[in-house]
Amino acid sequence: MTAAQPNRLRQNGRIDRTRPLAFSFDGKAYEGFAGDTLASALIANGVSLVGRSFKLRRPRGIVGSGAEEPNAIMQIGEGAAAQPNLPATQVGLYDGLVARSTRGWPGVRFDLGAINDVFGRVLGAGFYYKTFMYPRSWWKHYELAIRKSAGFGQAPEGPDPDRYEHMNAHCDVLVAGGGPAGLMAALAAAKSGARVMLADEQDEFGGSLLAFAASIDGAPAAEWAAAAAEELRDMEDCVLLPSSTVFGYYDHNFLTIAERCAGSPDSSVGGGVRERLWRVRARQVVLAQGSLERPLVFCNNDRPGVMLASAVSTYIKRYAVLPGRRAVVFTNNDSAYRAALSLAGAGAEVAAIVDSRPGGAGDLGLRAQALGIPVHAGHVVTDVAGRRRVTGASIAPWNGESWENVESTIRIDCDLVAVSGGWSPAVHLHSQAGGQLAWDDSQLCLLPAEARQANVSAGAGNGQWSLGECLADGLRAGAETVSRLGLKTAAIRVPGADANAGEKLIEPMWRAPAASDADRCPRQFIDFQNDTTVADIRLAAREGYRNVEHVKRYTALGFGTDQGKLGNINGMAVLADTLGKEIPEVGTTTFRPAYTPVSFGVCAGESVGELYDPVRTTAIHEWHVAAGAPMELVGQWHRPWYFPRDGEDLDAAVARECLAVRNSLGVMDASTLGKIDARGPDVVEFLERIYTHKVGGMQVGRCAYGIMLGEDGMLMDDGVMARAGEQRFYLTTTTGGAASVLSWMEKWLQTEWPELEVYLTSLTDHYSTIAVAGPNSRGLLEKLGCDIPLDKERFPFMTVKPAVLAGMDVTLFRVSFSGELAFEINIASNHALAMWRTIMEAGVEFEGAPYGTETMHVLRAEKGFVIAGQDTDGSVTPVDLGMNWLLSREKDFLGKRSLRRPDSLRKDRKQWVGLLSLDGRTVLGEGTQLVGESGEPAAMCGHVTSSYFSTSLGHPIALALVAGGRGRNGETIYAARPGLEPLPVQIVSPVFYDRKGQRQHV
Amino acid sequence: MSEASPALSGKEGVPPSGKVGTPSPHGRHGLEPFFATVESAPDARVAISVRTGRGFLNLRLNPHSRKAREAAERILGQPMPLAANTFTVGKHRVYWLGPDEWLIAAGEERASDLGSGLTDALAGFHAAVNDLSGGNVELLVGGAHARTALAKGCSLDLHPREFAPGQCAQTSLGRAAVLLAADGEPSTYTIIVRRSFSDYLCRWLENAARPHGAGFSVL
Repeated sequence: MTAAQPNRLRQNGRIDRTRPLAFSFDGKAYEGFAGDTLASALIANGVSLVGRSFKLRRPRGIVGSGAEEPNAIMQIGEGAAAQPNLPATQVGLYDGLVARSTRGWPGVRFDLGAINDVFGRVLGAGFYYKTFMYPRSWWKHYELAIRKSAGFGQAPEGPDPDRYEHMNAHCDVLVAGGGPAGLMAALAAAKSGARVMLADEQDEFGGSLLAFAASIDGAPAAEWAAAAAEELRDMEDCVLLPSSTVFGYYDHNFLTIAERCAGSPDSSVGGGVRERLWRVRARQVVLAQGSLERPLVFCNNDRPGVMLASAVSTYIKRYAVLPGRRAVVFTNNDSAYRAALSLAGAGAEVAAIVDSRPGGAGDLGLRAQALGIPVHAGHVVTDVAGRRRVTGASIAPWNGESWENVESTIRIDCDLVAVSGGWSPAVHLHSQAGGQLAWDDSQLCLLPAEARQANVSAGAGNGQWSLGECLADGLRAGAETVSRLGLKTAAIRVPGADANAGEKLIEPMWRAPAASDADRCPRQFIDFQNDTTVADIRLAAREGYRNVEHVKRYTALGFGTDQGKLGNINGMAVLADTLGKEIPEVGTTTFRPAYTPVSFGVCAGESVGELYDPVRTTAIHEWHVAAGAPMELVGQWHRPWYFPRDGEDLDAAVARECLAVRNSLGVMDASTLGKIDARGPDVVEFLERIYTHKVGGMQVGRCAYGIMLGEDGMLMDDGVMARAGEQRFYLTTTTGGAASVLSWMEKWLQTEWPELEVYLTSLTDHYSTIAVAGPNSRGLLEKLGCDIPLDKERFPFMTVKPAVLAGMDVTLFRVSFSGELAFEINIASNHALAMWRTIMEAGVEFEGAPYGTETMHVLRAEKGFVIAGQDTDGSVTPVDLGMNWLLSREKDFLGKRSLRRPDSLRKDRKQWVGLLSLDGRTVLGEGTQLVGESGEPAAMCGHVTSSYFSTSLGHPIALALVAGGRGRNGETIYAARPGLEPLPVQIVSPVFYDRKGQRQHV
Repeated sequence: MSEASPALSGKEGVPPSGKVGTPSPHGRHGLEPFFATVESAPDARVAISVRTGRGFLNLRLNPHSRKAREAAERILGQPMPLAANTFTVGKHRVYWLGPDEWLIAAGEERASDLGSGLTDALAGFHAAVNDLSGGNVELLVGGAHARTALAKGCSLDLHPREFAPGQCAQTSLGRAAVLLAADGEPSTYTIIVRRSFSDYLCRWLENAARPHGAGFSVL
């Protein structure tokens, strides 16, 4: 053993001693080897105190060697790339790794919070609920202090610099777990021609074979595992994922895998990625995640130095580190004897094996005795001594019945207590998938029973404990999936391995007896991470919590990063004992994803920054960008908001743009409007049902403003429709409604009115739309060269014509969203930029200006044109909007009947009106609440939907929904303003500018 | 330059034959800024290209009307796919979009001419021919790692056994709706995306392909 790593064994282990790696823990420098985990490297360096417990701040050490670890929860890395709350047992060591304990202030060795342990007698289950309830107003103060002390790791600030990605995958068979059973299942499936994915949470395949001395076909088992993995890797259509945890099993055999990519050369895809989320659709799933060892429950069983027996073996065999020099092994089953043999083989002294079973162990017991290890059958460990490290264990004889006043007869000095309370199959995924669990009274564990999805369990996770059984069970499971897939099963034999004959069965020992009763003796921990003790569970039961789910929430049993992997079964058993029930009657809490914690980074994947959501752009977008226009996000579109000149701000630019349109010429990119081609023999009938106005009366070449209602009679969308032929219409929708309106129409056509012969085609992206508005818009088009006459008589308002403009084919609409003389030019998008540039050049003569969405809003508000989605919110009928003239009496249409509901006919419905600030200068905030009186408190009678400063009019204007508003013209109401006196406003017509509508008809 | 055919004309569905008014007869696909600035990796294992000048038509007709179908097929010079999610390759590519809807990626012939031909041939049938040349962008993604790059944002099974050459699907790539087609060459795909999503999609593809080395070209 080297001085630098005092607990490192001289030989063996699956570490690379030629590759030393430097790392630090809580600021102190250490060295480990490639192949270590952070946990094994800490043990190698003699670090036994790695954290403080959640509530009581008791010193804690490493308990396990894998996903079950409750104590060694670390902050890994620094700065923005830091990751909080990783179990040291699952962090592969790398050079330069920086780890910190996540609990303990100011430090883990001296923690002020440890005072909680002294006063801990009052910190029982439900302490927080009971204590911090009153006075209620104090909670905000309590909360600050509790949150600070309750913290695990620290969330890093700043954007994560690392790359994460998602990967979709499909396979015939997904095998979760690459131990002996999983490898056999994968081989059986892959050799039969199935597409196989095999994932294992460790960086090497083999599972338990890496940690135990066993042989397969006469060779070391780990070599067999490596060869099996190599064989699979070479097969086509077989994906091997080491360092990958299958953490979620959802409906339809959809599973999620988190792959930790750093240092995984086996990854089938390129590097540069920190973690990868695999979204897998598997036809069949083999669950072979093995089993988790349970600790035993006795006084002070949380002291550093109390470790799972399997973890002891793993640290010795796999990592060549010795977790203790003088050990006591405490067990209720045979498996822990292997730890004793491993310890003895590594040169440690095994002071005693304490076996709660009166008859002791089978063959393994004989082997231990042959080595001279004292075996105390029918004995239990009742307590351990030591605070920051175990210094000794007290043992007492036990008859399986007495629980109190047990006098310890022997005290044994030791620095390690290896415990085994039996094994719990990792049934998490089986249960997540909806599968049943069954309690096995002889093996004392929950076993997977009937599966609900296409999955099979195998190996230790299926209650097969010996290596021989695991291999055979894996082959069986693999073959079963193959036959379910309808493939021919390849002939494979089960390799030869020990069958573990001569083992004796586990016997229950859920809680060791103590010198006093369970509520007064030193703490017997069930859940280390949440500081849940036997006394807490008994208290919960006494206080009326009988359902295991309630007990979980009251005592925190099974919460936290480890989700109770160690404590849940012991907790169930103690609860059952307290309630006088059988364990299956108590049942277990629900298993939910994720099996182990998953980083936010891998959940987000690449959906960050510019890829968070698509940005849709028009064909003219690059011109807008070059012009320096700030963009407004409308739906997913980036639309130019305004076009600042010479350092103008929004208000100045909008004022100028508005005047340009009103006085001369403005040009806007309106390409984002939805456009639909509708045609067929029944198109008129179809549109009659969708739109509220009489469509059949429209002549070819005419345009009409149309609205559509939901079945509830509320305004859904609006737009201009043009009749392009007897059986053909061209419909426009709002920008946001383009996709939903098309879907809405197709839904009616396909599901309700299939007899109507109508075809719809979206033209939204094909056509770009350039709105040219203002008194000089006609002059501009004439200047560009247009092959049709544009005068008022031959091309009147609300008509449409195909034309050649500036040498390009276009469709010209004489429609207006500004109230001015205006044209909308529709042109195929691949020529829209050329047309826009041509217009911009020609427009200089008229001092024309491009204008953005803000000016468009002001101009339409001046005219009282509604914007669906801004002035409406799904609760506004066309009657509320004053659009009765659009509602045909001669026909039926969607939503018509709802307009006669009593609620639709209420006189006090909110109606759409204009508002003028009586001070003549205040621009109301959009969303401002309106009240009838200036005093407080006053009932709300409406709200502002749109509000702007109108440069053309020289004063602010607003649009609002006000209860009974149209009958209150001229009335003064008040706009509430936080921190200010309510502002008097006058109800007026929503049309502020050119009330007679003459300007658009010129 | 009649790709810019308007929605309206005197004769229903027939785009008027217009004059060419811009230097490029095809106009712009809109990805010029992206392809002008994006950098190709020296050892690209994913090749991403944009095809310029491809004309597109959307065709809707009743598949049970054999006469209508045959009339369209005479103009196209090739069969229309009737099996779901497949496409036929002839002078043009005809993609199945739905039981009564197809997307035609026009070959050498101009989309407007092909559209006029189809419209004339289908006169009297319940059918709709719409020029979508301005609304679609065609991208080609190939190379050794093309499938892997696409799998990052497409939840369909792209294994050649499941998504064989000749198959197509309307699906999501990243967060954009696309028409994805498996081309004849192994691991080569055609992606047809709406113009307004094409810049986003190229950025998404660039990011997905980056770990494997991405190469860009204009066809």
